Amino acid sequence: MNDDILDDHETLTLEDVCQNCNLDQDVVLTYVQEGLIDVSGHNAGTMRFSHSHIVRIQKANRLERDLRLNPAGSVLVLELIAQIDDLKNQLKYFKRHN
Amino acid sequence: MEYKDYYTALGVEKTATADEIKSAYRKLARKYHPDLNKDKDAESRFKEIGEANDVLSDPEKRAAYDQLGQNYREGQDFNPPPNWDQGFEFRGRPSGAGAQPEDFSEFFEDLFGKAQRQQSGAQYGGQSFGSQDFGGQGFGGQQQGEFNAKGQDHHARILIDLDDSFNGSKRQITLKVPEFGPDGHLQLKHRTLDVTIPKGIREGQQIRLKKQGAPGYGKGEPGDLFLEVNFKPHKLYHADGSDLYLDLPVTPWEAALGGKVKVPTPGGVVDLNIPANSKQGRKLRLKGRGLPSKKPGDLFVVLQIALPPADNDKARQLYETMAKELDFNPRSHMASGL
Repeated sequence: MNDDILDDHETLTLEDVCQNCNLDQDVVLTYVQEGLIDVSGHNAGTMRFSHSHIVRIQKANRLERDLRLNPAGSVLVLELIAQIDDLKNQLKYFKRHN
Repeated sequence: MEYKDYYTALGVEKTATADEIKSAYRKLARKYHPDLNKDKDAESRFKEIGEANDVLSDPEKRAAYDQLGQNYREGQDFNPPPNWDQGFEFRGRPSGAGAQPEDFSEFFEDLFGKAQRQQSGAQYGGQSFGSQDFGGQGFGGQQQGEFNAKGQDHHARILIDLDDSFNGSKRQITLKVPEFGPDGHLQLKHRTLDVTIPKGIREGQQIRLKKQGAPGYGKGEPGDLFLEVNFKPHKLYHADGSDLYLDLPVTPWEAALGGKVKVPTPGGVVDLNIPANSKQGRKLRLKGRGLPSKKPGDLFVVLQIALPPADNDKARQLYETMAKELDFNPRSHMASGL
């Protein structure tokens, strides 16, 4: 079986990402603007994305579609979820020690 | 085929208004969205309520469903009368919210599926056709050109041992896949995969299994399966990115006087120098002893000072000597007069 680890190497172009996620350039660029992902490169032509970026974009896009959010909202949700996960982990850690 | 009670799925009365249905659906969709809710049942619940909403929020489908379903209860054997849908007109699937229609139950497909497929044709995002019978008969005059698209990507979370990441390994992983069975009920199918755990993978990273997602449409390739990695709790270490943390119990004299102690690491036992006058909770770094990667993580050893119990004369005597001889008051900073 063919598997690979999705590392954080930024090798994908904007076009690759659009094709992979079935999204328009505008939509992907909005996510970049909203700070969902930090890409290297400053304009659409030179931007490079990683596979973990794709996963985040797809998550945000699913949330938007399913819960009728706008991009700012879905990015906020993902950030809050990350914070909650972080706190849960810390809590788990502290519970073990008390 | 079993009858599905869409009203129960959304928790509303049969007399519910469109607004009540909308608000019930939205509440449940937020609650059970698989990207937000990590319970294993969340995904199948989400699909169920999506299907229920699809029918009940559409006046035409709701009317048809109500007419059909008057005398049925959830799970009862159900056969739609022939030509039951005569006189109903179905529009294309409204864009926007809802579960992916290819996941809908047989019950739904039988009642609403075919009529819809005619309408939505071959546009991606209409998604109202089952891949297996796309292009088959039943399209009549609406037959469209050939349609190819990559199948959907699937996602799952897996739990692995920290040692698997440290050493790299091959593991058999069993995933539970919720599917609608032939009786129209959701059931869990088990699917076993051989997965190579790449050395040094961190929590939250994804492993992609190419072409293990949903089948493609037409000549399209299957989607990929993404596995998000989490670690099982380890009895010694916990991970933060590539770094590992280890709580190391030390004696008061080791902490106070300093010295060498032996410390377990995932790569084997090593010597650690404890500096004199170390305090409880002090973090000592063993560089590069964390998870391997191009820039390997570190192992942080957190000192936990363990007090010997005063449960014999000798120990009590030593504590008493310290109490007499040492000028030590850990509470002096809290208030004057302590």
